[in-house]
Amino acid sequence: MPPLKLAAILIISIALQLTLRMVWPPLVYIDFPLVVIVYIALQREAWQALVVATLAGLIVDAQSGALIGAGGFSKTLTAYVIYFAATKVNLENPLLRIPVLAAATVLDSLIFVLSHRLFGYPPTVPVVQTISYKLIATTVVGTLVLYLIDSIIAERSSQRRQFATRRRVARRSTGSLRRR
Amino acid sequence: MASVRTQKEIRQRAPLWLVALLLLNFIVMAVDARDADGQQQIFRIWTQTFASPLQNASSKASGATTGFFQQIWNFRSAAQENEQLKQRVSALETELNNARQAEAENARLKSLLSLNEQIQINSVPARVIARDPSVWFNTITINRGSTSGIAVNMPVVTGGGIVGRVITVSPFAAQVMLITDEKAGAGAVVGQLGQSGALGSVRGRADLGVGIIEMRYVSGLEKVEVNDTVMTTGQDGIYPPGLNVGRVVDVKNGTATQAHQILIQPGAQLDHLEEVAVLLYRPPQRSAPQETLPNVEKPGK
Repeated sequence: MPPLKLAAILIISIALQLTLRMVWPPLVYIDFPLVVIVYIALQREAWQALVVATLAGLIVDAQSGALIGAGGFSKTLTAYVIYFAATKVNLENPLLRIPVLAAATVLDSLIFVLSHRLFGYPPTVPVVQTISYKLIATTVVGTLVLYLIDSIIAERSSQRRQFATRRRVARRSTGSLRRR
Repeated sequence: MASVRTQKEIRQRAPLWLVALLLLNFIVMAVDARDADGQQQIFRIWTQTFASPLQNASSKASGATTGFFQQIWNFRSAAQENEQLKQRVSALETELNNARQAEAENARLKSLLSLNEQIQINSVPARVIARDPSVWFNTITINRGSTSGIAVNMPVVTGGGIVGRVITVSPFAAQVMLITDEKAGAGAVVGQLGQSGALGSVRGRADLGVGIIEMRYVSGLEKVEVNDTVMTTGQDGIYPPGLNVGRVVDVKNGTATQAHQILIQPGAQLDHLEEVAVLLYRPPQRSAPQETLPNVEKPGK
């Protein structure tokens, strides 16, 4: 994925995460940065997925009451697990993204809670209930967001590929005309 | 071929990246956990400084969006009536909503002002511009920071009662830990300060949610009843004495050897906070034990 596009998507996802709770509190259960991380990891972009996961996690942690680094840790590990799975199994099918997103949400939440417990800072909300809500919200909205990102990026890249093919064909034909 | 090699290299180096980034996060986490009760993290201040204008704007935008949808709703409900009445009703309703909002805001600000007069401590009014972006904690961000004289550990209140304490301050924003957080706590007494001996401490509990806090260590010999008010004692070194915490909603009576189990509903509406006041309160310095106690060996002797 081009770095500029990646940065734009990352900034938008973090901005949504930081602001949507004020619009309607239940929207906090959607983990937008995690959806972006899952998307990048599914593209088998290991380096990008890991760095984006760390950055997004650290920024959201710094704005929340969480320990700084806990979100970065959980998201980085989740990103790697998904990247690893994507390199072993073909997860290109859009339907397969739903269980992947659900698994990523649960894994991220569990690592986040466990790392807080490890340092003696248990979360202030019921864990199972919160993970359940987060699982539902992130999976449902995340599936749509993944489709949206895919359609924007994939459409443009396919357009670019088509243009490149046309250009190549055009060059070949002009080359053959010159030779004649 | 070159791209294949690069992909291979990336695949080979990915675990190294993973370990490095996990280690970085772990170290940051360990440092934050160690300093969580004391110094504030510089990274938190930076991100807050950059995020506060965005949050400020979104806070205003959310108000506008709510108003917009409210207007749409008003129009829809008035669609059954004729066009003239519809316009008239919607205009009146919008006006009325604005007036009600202004009235409610006025009442809240008045209560903050009266609180300021009651407790004789200077305060800075602030608006809540963001709530915790993660689902796991309950902090809020306010639109006043160190440029308004706010410092770490200053108490935050509303007309209803205490809200929490400041945990991070950037120049134009501050993060507040709510009293319902498990890490938060306040010295409190059931009944009036100076008249009741039912002293204890209040803190949040994960399983109780945001609306309820628990009070611990109240002697089972003290009389506590539902609907009793709970006030701060000032013993925690953060909140001044005599502030309202909330009222008792449930008591499981203790015995001579067992403390009461008390649940309290906070006086401040923590779910719907809009305006708060930060008390510019510095607790009185406690004298060090070595200076006051005659039998303690003094350093340097």
